[in-house]
This record gives sequence, structure tokens and C-alpha cells, in this order.
Amino acid sequence: MTRRRQAITFVALCVLLVTAALLLNISWIITNAGSVPPLVFGVVTFGLIIAGLIVYTVFLVLEIRRNEEHDTFINAVTHELKTPIASIRLYLETLQAREVSDARRREFYDVMLADADRLHHTVDQVLKAGAVRARRHPARAPVDVGALARECVELAVARHHLQPGAVALETPDSSALLVSGDTEELRTVVTNLLDNAVKYSGESPRVTVAVAAPAPDTVWIRVQDRGIGIPKKQLKRIFNRFYRVQARGLRQIKGTGLGLYIVRTIARAHGGRVFAQSEGEGRGATFTLELPRLTPQ
Amino acid sequence: MSRVLIVEDEQHIADGLRFNLEAEGVDATVARDGEQALDLLLGGHDIFDAVILDVMLPGKDGFTVAGELRAAGKYVPILMLTARGRPEDVLRGFEAGADDYLPKPFELAILLARLRGLLRRRQWNEQAEAGETSRNDSYSFAGRTLDFRAMEVHARGKSHRLTQMESELLRYLVRHAGEAVSRGTILEEVWGLHEETDTRAIDNFIVRLRRYLEDRPSSPKILVTVRGVGYKFVRPDETA
Repeated sequence: MTRRRQAITFVALCVLLVTAALLLNISWIITNAGSVPPLVFGVVTFGLIIAGLIVYTVFLVLEIRRNEEHDTFINAVTHELKTPIASIRLYLETLQAREVSDARRREFYDVMLADADRLHHTVDQVLKAGAVRARRHPARAPVDVGALARECVELAVARHHLQPGAVALETPDSSALLVSGDTEELRTVVTNLLDNAVKYSGESPRVTVAVAAPAPDTVWIRVQDRGIGIPKKQLKRIFNRFYRVQARGLRQIKGTGLGLYIVRTIARAHGGRVFAQSEGEGRGATFTLELPRLTPQ
Repeated sequence: MSRVLIVEDEQHIADGLRFNLEAEGVDATVARDGEQALDLLLGGHDIFDAVILDVMLPGKDGFTVAGELRAAGKYVPILMLTARGRPEDVLRGFEAGADDYLPKPFELAILLARLRGLLRRRQWNEQAEAGETSRNDSYSFAGRTLDFRAMEVHARGKSHRLTQMESELLRYLVRHAGEAVSRGTILEEVWGLHEETDTRAIDNFIVRLRRYLEDRPSSPKILVTVRGVGYKFVRPDETA
């Protein structure tokens, strides 16, 4: 909120300075109307000053915005780390201090396991975000995209305790589609997209994962959900580091804002890209990972 | 039994807290977000003795909930609970109207102790309000004056000094005038003794107090025996 005000102040200051520079420039032109060399020199200098001012302000505002996103990230991560720790602690202390029936005890163990998983997931995301940033050139090996997608779907169904039909997988019947890359990293990409699809789908997720070759030299992995969707204006920004979609009804869903950033970084390192489509809020979202196809020699 | 409202959207923590509060003999209710909490707390009856309030809630956050409660004139004690433990967050919590603040992860024993502290203080405040008239100075009726501060009774032209226990018993009975007060209550609430103490000790105290106050101690009109329960204080002008 205060950051927003800060940004507005700097933009206003920039407009003011640019206007002042323009006025000076005009008066310079008028006073030196006769002689060409000082006229050219003055106009070029003023042009540079104005361009510099604008560039400077743009960078400043971008930096302010990034700072804001970093703040939300710190808050989100603090929450995501401390909440499961608080929960595990609470249950351990309860088990230590009180008489607990066997049924309850087993229930408590399940709760603590779920919290440990959540903690692990958060730590994993943070570490991965650092790792993919540092490593621009992934290991290269042929990866069968269809098999990878199948594996990820099975894993997601098991991990989120989904109905067997909740995630549909469509793979081409023809020969395997291969890409060149790091299996582990590509698995992270598909898993992150699947986790998001489930997370933003509410009570009963229905997700479709499609593997296809839209052109002879490209491969698509599409993850489509029928969940809460994404406002059109934010379709690009969601891949930014720490960025979290802002919309009503989304407040309940917690995360670090790292998942899609990891996806984009890995996609780019593999010479591909990732993009999102959504008809708007409440109408689902489709994420497409596009990778260069490895054609057998 | 105390009633506590837990406002927490993390189901695991809410369930764990409820289990522990219930094990402590506290009646616990869980609200999953700020709106639900405000509905419960602003709904007319002040049924909750304390609130455990998480800050990071979906919708209205804990600061807002506390602020709106105080703005509405509800002063139920609030124990704020949050992952954000920076000094500015703590200050913001207190400014919003929290009575106590605990960062997550918390120690269960500390949380329970602080909650008990809040409940106790609320009880004290209630007693102070109820006993405003009698606690501060004295209480007069039908030509008799009970001076609780000096621990003296002035009645029928004579003065008697009261012992601490006599004074406390008399004050309690006066505060609950017209109500039957059981012997157990007198032992536990008034004197802080164990309930299994011989209740006939009370009878001796009553006999002495009657001697100070009653016109005819053998047929009491002020400190009346309620058969099978205990005693009650009756203002003489009410009996007339």
C-alpha cells in the first residue's frame, strides 16, 4: 500500500522533471534559433537527459514492485514454514502431555505426517527455485514425454487422494514423443502444473493432461482444469517469481509464488516456453508447456 | 465451564487446539474465517469467555476482526496467534485490541497458561463489576452498616470486628442477595478451600454473623437457612 504510493510519487516526479526538461529544451531552441551547432548539441543533450529520466523511473518502479512481491513471498513462506511446524509441535506436545486413545493417536500421526509433507514441499520449492536459477543448462538426454506425463499423473492422483477418473490423460497412439532434457526437471514442471490444477479446482477436480505434437518439431504438454481460472490481465505475470494471483475467492489458497516461476525457468532452459490461457475467473485454466521435439536421426 | 472461540483456518491447528482445550474442561468452538468469527461474536449474546485469534485468515484478517470487535464495544479477551512474530506485527496486534500475543510455533503449556490468565482476569473483572458497591466501601440496610474495608459491622448500636473469613462470607452473601448460596460454593469460591472440607464449619460462622446482625438470632430474618442447600442473604425491608 505504501509501496504503491511510493511508486506513484516517483512517477509524478519523473513527469515533472521531464516537463521541466522539455520546457528548457524549447527555450533553448528559441534562443539559439540562428546557430546550428549549439542547437543540435542542446537538443541531443536534453533528449538524453529525458530518456535517462524515463529509464531511471521505469527501473525504480519495477524495483519497487519486485520488492513488494518479495515481501509477500517472505510472508507466504514464513506462514508456509511455521504453520506445519506449529501444528507438529502442538500434536507432539499433546501426545506427550495427555492420555490419548489409540484411535486418536493414529489420527494425530496422520496429521503430523501431512504437515511434515507440507513442510517438505515448501522447502523443496524454495530450494528448487534457487537451483533452477543457478543452472541455466540442464543435462540433456532423450525423454519420452508421454511416459513422463503418465508417471506424473499417477503420482498426483496418489498424492492428492483423487478419484481414479479425476485426471484424464491423452497421449498420441503413434510412436513416443521425445524431447531432449533433464527428466527430473521436466517431471518437476509437469508435477507443479498438475498440483496447481488440483489446488485451484476446489472440492472435485477434473483435470485433463494432453500430450501432442502440434507441429513436426514441437511437443506440447497441456494441463487443463475446470477450476477457478485466472483473470486475463494476470496471465503473464503469474510466471514471475513470488507472484500470486490476486482475486476474490482466492484468499483461501496458500502458496509461495514459486511453482510457476520454476516451471518457466525450466521450460526456458530447455529451449521451450510455457503459457497460460483462461476464459477468466471461474472458467478454468489451461497451461501449455511447449518444447522442441527431438526427432530420431 | 468457560467457552472459548478458536478462530483459525488451518484445520490441523484448530483441531489440535480444540482437543487440548476440551481436555482442560473448556468448551471450544472453531470458526474458520474472520466473517464467521464476527458473526458468532457480534451475535447479541456474549457466550464466549475468550477468543484465540489467528492473524492470517482468509477474508478479514485477525487485526480487522479484533478492531471490529472493539469498535462494536465487545471486550471479550483476545489471545492473538500468528506466524508473524516481528515487533511491528506484535504492536499492530495490540493496537487492534488484542490482550495477549503469541507467535507460532507456540508451546502448548504457555498457550494454555496465557489463556487461563485471560479467563481469570475476565472473572475478576466480572466480580469487580458485580461487587462494585460492596467491595469498595460499605453496605447499609435497615439501620445496619457493613464496612468491608474496616472489616466491621455496626448494628443495633454496637460495633463488631469481623475476621477475614467472616467478612468475605458476608460480602459474598450480600453480593448474591436473594440467591441461595450452597455450602460448596462458600468453601470453594469464597474461601478458596477444598470442597471436601467439613461444611459444618460454615454453620459456626453463620451463627456468629447472626449474633451481630439479627434482632433475634434464634429466628433469623437476614441470614436465612435454605434447607439442603446453604444460606441466603435477605434485606430486611424485602421481607417486610
